Amino acid sequence: MENVLSILFCLSLFYLSVTSRVKAYVTVLRVQGIILTILLVIPFLSHFSVYGIIIPATMLIVKVIYIPRYINKVILDLDIKRRIEPTIQQMVFLALVIATIVIIFFASQLLSKSTPLNVIPFASGFSAIAIGIYIIMFRKKLIVHVCGFLVLENGIFLFGTSVAFELPMLIELGTLLDVFVVVFLMGIALNRISSTFEGFEVAHLGRLKD
Amino acid sequence: MNSIFLSGSSLLLLISLAVQLLSVAVIWLIKNERKAFLAANTVLLGGMITGLASALLTALYPAPSGNIILYEWLRLDPLGLYFLSIIQLVAIPTIIYNYSYLRHHIDKKKSVKSFVTFFTTLLVSTQLLVTANHAIFFLVCWEIMSMAAYLGMIFEKEKKEVQQGSFYYVTVAHALIFILYIFFFILHEQTGSWLFSSYHLPFATETMGPVLFILALIAFGIKAGFMPFHFWLPRAHPIAPTPLSAFLSGVILKTGIYGLFRTFQFLCPVPEWCGWVVLAVSLFSAIFGVWYALAQHDIKRLLAYHSVENIGIIGIGIGLGFIGSANNLPVIMYIGFGGALLHTLNHAIFKTLLFIGSGIVYQNLGTRNIELMGGIVHRSRYLAIAFLIGSVAISGVPPLNGFISEFIIFTGFFATANELKNFYPIVMLMLVVGLAFVGGLAAACFTKVNAVMFLGSPRREIQKFNTNVFDYISLGILALLCIVIGFYPAPFVGMVNSVIGSSLVNGTASAILVDMNWMYISAIFTTIALAVFALYVLKIRHEKKYGKRVSDAWGCGYEHITPRMQYTASSFADELNTIPQSVLVYHKKVTVSDTAYPVESKFESHSDDFVDTKVLLPLFGLLKWLIAKFEFLGQTDIRYSVAFILITIIVYSLIAFLWV
Repeated sequence: MENVLSILFCLSLFYLSVTSRVKAYVTVLRVQGIILTILLVIPFLSHFSVYGIIIPATMLIVKVIYIPRYINKVILDLDIKRRIEPTIQQMVFLALVIATIVIIFFASQLLSKSTPLNVIPFASGFSAIAIGIYIIMFRKKLIVHVCGFLVLENGIFLFGTSVAFELPMLIELGTLLDVFVVVFLMGIALNRISSTFEGFEVAHLGRLKD
Repeated sequence: MNSIFLSGSSLLLLISLAVQLLSVAVIWLIKNERKAFLAANTVLLGGMITGLASALLTALYPAPSGNIILYEWLRLDPLGLYFLSIIQLVAIPTIIYNYSYLRHHIDKKKSVKSFVTFFTTLLVSTQLLVTANHAIFFLVCWEIMSMAAYLGMIFEKEKKEVQQGSFYYVTVAHALIFILYIFFFILHEQTGSWLFSSYHLPFATETMGPVLFILALIAFGIKAGFMPFHFWLPRAHPIAPTPLSAFLSGVILKTGIYGLFRTFQFLCPVPEWCGWVVLAVSLFSAIFGVWYALAQHDIKRLLAYHSVENIGIIGIGIGLGFIGSANNLPVIMYIGFGGALLHTLNHAIFKTLLFIGSGIVYQNLGTRNIELMGGIVHRSRYLAIAFLIGSVAISGVPPLNGFISEFIIFTGFFATANELKNFYPIVMLMLVVGLAFVGGLAAACFTKVNAVMFLGSPRREIQKFNTNVFDYISLGILALLCIVIGFYPAPFVGMVNSVIGSSLVNGTASAILVDMNWMYISAIFTTIALAVFALYVLKIRHEKKYGKRVSDAWGCGYEHITPRMQYTASSFADELNTIPQSVLVYHKKVTVSDTAYPVESKFESHSDDFVDTKVLLPLFGLLKWLIAKFEFLGQTDIRYSVAFILITIIVYSLIAFLWV
């Protein structure tokens, strides 16, 4: 079950690398949030505990409901153009993503020989981290950067569940809070910048340097 | 032992610390600046006197079951107690001087609330530092102490030199604490404990011994101001407000010495090379510290270099003790450590006296340049006398306390030569010459300071010279201490002896220090003093009988002398400073008229710090140049930054894979 979900997660990454609509990014974020929530809920089907359900519940609220709605609201409010404006061709980007994912899967396979880990979730999480970074590197729009950062964050979550030991609850909650705050700040920053600059491209942010 | 044990006197100590902290609350609660300050300073003074009383009580009646104050992390062993008493003893006159110094600033409508807060924090953290028995607690106190000193130092933060000097200080303080972290982490690693009392790593059996020793020497050496690491002293001391610079030089430097003693406790018995290293560094500090001092014109900077010199003298004592420890000769340890500990006390007293004295002069004249002073003795006779007492004491001239500790160290040289034959007598002879040379230069330097500052006629018009009773009380206490220790050293030597016996030397106790016939010294000094007094009385009587003739200073039979005709500090010191010209970075500019028409003749001299200008500044210049090469990395675009992160991750992953 875990493996199936992880592969689904991985497929969503491929979709991310070919789509050029901002709206699709938000949808994918939502899907990824749902996948992660299910992944977190699975262990509780066998032995249920009220205490442990806090994280999936928070996850559902923050990642599936609140953040996508907030991003959509920012897009609507600021009237951001719907295209993502890549800096390299989509096909090249896809090739890069595929190469990265292949390398990561091979590397994880190698690594699993020496360390106990679930190869597929581990590699998917790692890929999500890499692709999150790629999205930030090769896209111009600030709002897309936020999405890239969220993908990266999702990757870290998946990564955490795949490692044999469990992260303490406090740390996971902390990460969630971290994401929440970052998105919030980004929204505020975008609102501010919109009153100063025309576009929402990071190249303009250089001018804000002191 | 995990129970709370409180003897009466250690409870008193905790109460005194609490009272001192109370002054912070007092100053912020009272609205009126002047009243708030008076109340807070009085509370602080009361707390400090209580603290000193409790420290003395603890020393007189040691607690039966050890000397733990609170749990295991606050402890008073004789060594800590000794340093605690020094801190409190010096803090009392400084706090009294605060009445005068800060009132002056309140009159100028300057808020002193934050300064009092930081000063109190500094005092309390320094007292806690020497009672700490837990490494982390020690480090926390150390950090608070350094930072409080920094925050107090920026009292006059609108001045450019204050900003620069305090930044210099805070940088050095941070570099230092990193070394200390490493030092204590290694200690923890080796012993598995955080408690000072359980650190016993005999040097011989310990592979980390040399590392620990070098780290401690660097870290505590920076704080104490040993020569290659002294560079922050001449920058930080002149710009600090007077009470703080007095406390910095008198006490904060001594925490470095305290650290060295503690390191010795952890590592003893140390091998002989440690002793030689400390001796060499110390002799170097002593000689060049005083030589640098001779070349200065800024009175506070001059005193800062004298701190380097005196720390060097203390270090020589410590080095002797190390050599004694290596050869298992308690006699040498007693003499060496005894001289060092006593000189620590003495230096704290007379350096505080000199700093407060120079602070009073600075406050009135508005300049620290001694070339612009002169004739102060006619304005404030007692200030001149107190300053003279401090100068005599710091030069190690007989009747006062500086002589006693230097005398013990000199005795140590001869004792070492006597006990360890071989090549030792020659080396010790060289050290004797070195230390005597230091004393001579110090005397020359303070001749210059006293003559130029206090005697003669003013080189610049003195508008007003205000001193008040608090100045005289604080100066008086310190001068009296100088005289008492000089004339009656026996109880102080006894105290030092017991500290060494119980904390630094294990095994057979030696009464060498106590048996040095101190009463003879007292008798001789008293006789000399009586003789001087008799001559003075004779002089007064003769003046009454034959009258007194008054003429200009440096008159020399000239008709119309001007203040410009006086001997200046630069020309006084020039001959001596020309000898180590390159080390002192001593420049002089002479403009002489060799034409028929008289051109204005000038003589200027200036000395920079070698380490500062020839080592550190080029080093940081190089660093800046190197960093400028990587400026292209400072992209403003976030995409490049992320790309760099990715590259880093890839490199690390590759390394990890190859390594596995």
